Amino acid sequence: MDILAGLIQTAFLAGGVLALAALGEVLAERVGVVNLGVEGLIALGAMSAVVTVVSTGSPWLGLGVALLVGLLSGMVFATATVVVRANQILCGLALTYIGTGMAATIGKPFSGTPVPETFSPLHIPVLSDLPFFGRALFSHNILIYVIFLILPLALHYMMFYTRHGLNMRAVGENPAAADAAGIPVMKMRFWYTSLGAALASGAGGYLTLTFVPSWSEGVVAGRGWIAVALVIFAGFRPINAVLAGLLFGFVTGLGFVGQARNWPVAASILSMLPYLGTMALMILPVVTWQRMRRLMAAPDGITAPYFRDQR
Amino acid sequence: MTSMRLQRMPLAPPRVAFALRVLSVVLAILTAALVLWGSGHNPLALGAKVISSTFGSSFGLEDLSLLFSPLIYCGLSVAVALRIGAWNIGAEGQFNFGALCATGVALFVSGPVWVILPLMGVAGMIGGALWILVPTLARAYADVSELITTLLMNFVAMLLVYWLATGPWLDPSGMALATTSRLPVSVPAFWGIVHWGLPIAILIAIALSLFVTYTRWGYEVRIAGANPGAARYAGMPVRTQLIGIMLLSGALAGLGGMMEVAGTVGRLQGGISNNYGYIGIMVAVLARAAPIGVLATAFFMAVLLNGGIVLQSQGLTTHTVLAVTGLILLYAAIGDEAAHYKILRTKAKDG
Repeated sequence: MDILAGLIQTAFLAGGVLALAALGEVLAERVGVVNLGVEGLIALGAMSAVVTVVSTGSPWLGLGVALLVGLLSGMVFATATVVVRANQILCGLALTYIGTGMAATIGKPFSGTPVPETFSPLHIPVLSDLPFFGRALFSHNILIYVIFLILPLALHYMMFYTRHGLNMRAVGENPAAADAAGIPVMKMRFWYTSLGAALASGAGGYLTLTFVPSWSEGVVAGRGWIAVALVIFAGFRPINAVLAGLLFGFVTGLGFVGQARNWPVAASILSMLPYLGTMALMILPVVTWQRMRRLMAAPDGITAPYFRDQR
Repeated sequence: MTSMRLQRMPLAPPRVAFALRVLSVVLAILTAALVLWGSGHNPLALGAKVISSTFGSSFGLEDLSLLFSPLIYCGLSVAVALRIGAWNIGAEGQFNFGALCATGVALFVSGPVWVILPLMGVAGMIGGALWILVPTLARAYADVSELITTLLMNFVAMLLVYWLATGPWLDPSGMALATTSRLPVSVPAFWGIVHWGLPIAILIAIALSLFVTYTRWGYEVRIAGANPGAARYAGMPVRTQLIGIMLLSGALAGLGGMMEVAGTVGRLQGGISNNYGYIGIMVAVLARAAPIGVLATAFFMAVLLNGGIVLQSQGLTTHTVLAVTGLILLYAAIGDEAAHYKILRTKAKDG
């Protein structure tokens, strides 16, 4: 039982990165922009959070800087893809390269330095002392509750129960119709793409301020790409996205347990689990679950730039 | 009174597109220089150092050639897939796995060199093709985006190489920590340390260029990439073409991995691919997926990569090159779109 509680605890901790990054990607893809720069954004956020906390000692400031760096990078990306309407795949790859490269270059002097102050687990009276659930569900840092509870519920409500959310989804499904209905297509795309990038970079800050409290070049390790894949698996829905993130946190946790308990499998083989799991999740549902395909389909206008005069 | 306005054309004129490509490269390097200058470096001195240590001696040119060769393989790999509209972001993984398979042959099969080397080449190609097989079938039969699946396989290949090189295949002499023992055979060199992997890569590029331009196969691939619906309607076997092209793409990257392990490095170790697969994407995109163009852009990227290695003593990393690569890609994407526009001068009527 104790192992399971620890596993669930790790699942939340490790899955938080994927969940937050996936939430950001849901925002961008729902307005019709695929941002393949998530990997680079996580690297930038992770690095800038470490640098900030090492020099100021405040994790909140670190997270804030990570979010801000992401917002600014997202605005550059959105300028290229939404305003100039350049190819989203190329710009996304470019952002991944720029982010990964810049983070490695700037972060080099900080490589391996432990973060002096991280987000520590909150102690909630009564709840944290519960036998099993206390450890599994109520011994987390505050960001976990924001990522797994507040953000997905708020975004779900916004996207599916408000006029603004309907407009937002319309922009992603059919920008021409949305434009005709008077919805500011460009503005929506620009800001939700930028906001999504801020969340991705924030996920990087979360990574180095809670789960792996130091910067190194390989710290992101493909999490950005897994997050992009999870969004597709989650059918572009915020609640599904964080659940998918949790599932992958669980897979990562399984690898840790295996290492700690000396399973007769090499650590590098166990580390393959999240990538292989993502492959399986991308392929199997499409093959076996034909009916889900339409329900979980991507927004119709995805990756297509919108030209008002070429409707 | 004349007024100006922009009009978007459905097709970009090739000459404008090419000019903007060149401009994007220049702008990216200028941006990088500006950033370096802002952080207290002297970009001109650094640039001069890169040029002199790359082109100033035969050692520099030999090093450059050793970077040039894997970039051609990876660039060609991405380029052929792009011709049918598929994104092979997994050249890095296919390169690694190709190197792994070739190493397996070298370590466990004994025989004369002229048998083993071709066998290693075949093993590398089969390995590369195997590594893209699942993403290929998923794309061809279930329409799963190959973009992410090929990329995820990169991490698996890297971990697999790392595991073999530190575990089961670790150099038994006890001298090495994270590599296999030196391979008993190697691709012979023809100039200093430059091995035959380079001329073979150039030959493959020329052959591919002829094939895609002058054969029915190349034509069908191009049509299937541009308009799959029309191609299918015209009776072209689009799915078979897609599978064939993607496997070829994997095989090219795998062969690059074999050449790297058997020619340049001599043993299998983690990180054997120095981001070649990722930079290969850049090589292919800049070359607009033309095999001959890949030779030019791979050479340019090799100079850039070599520059990053030369400047490592100045506190830069090879990752800095990756950032500059990203900048070029970003500007190139913007330039591609800008090439669609022309400026119209219209005489406004008086009245």
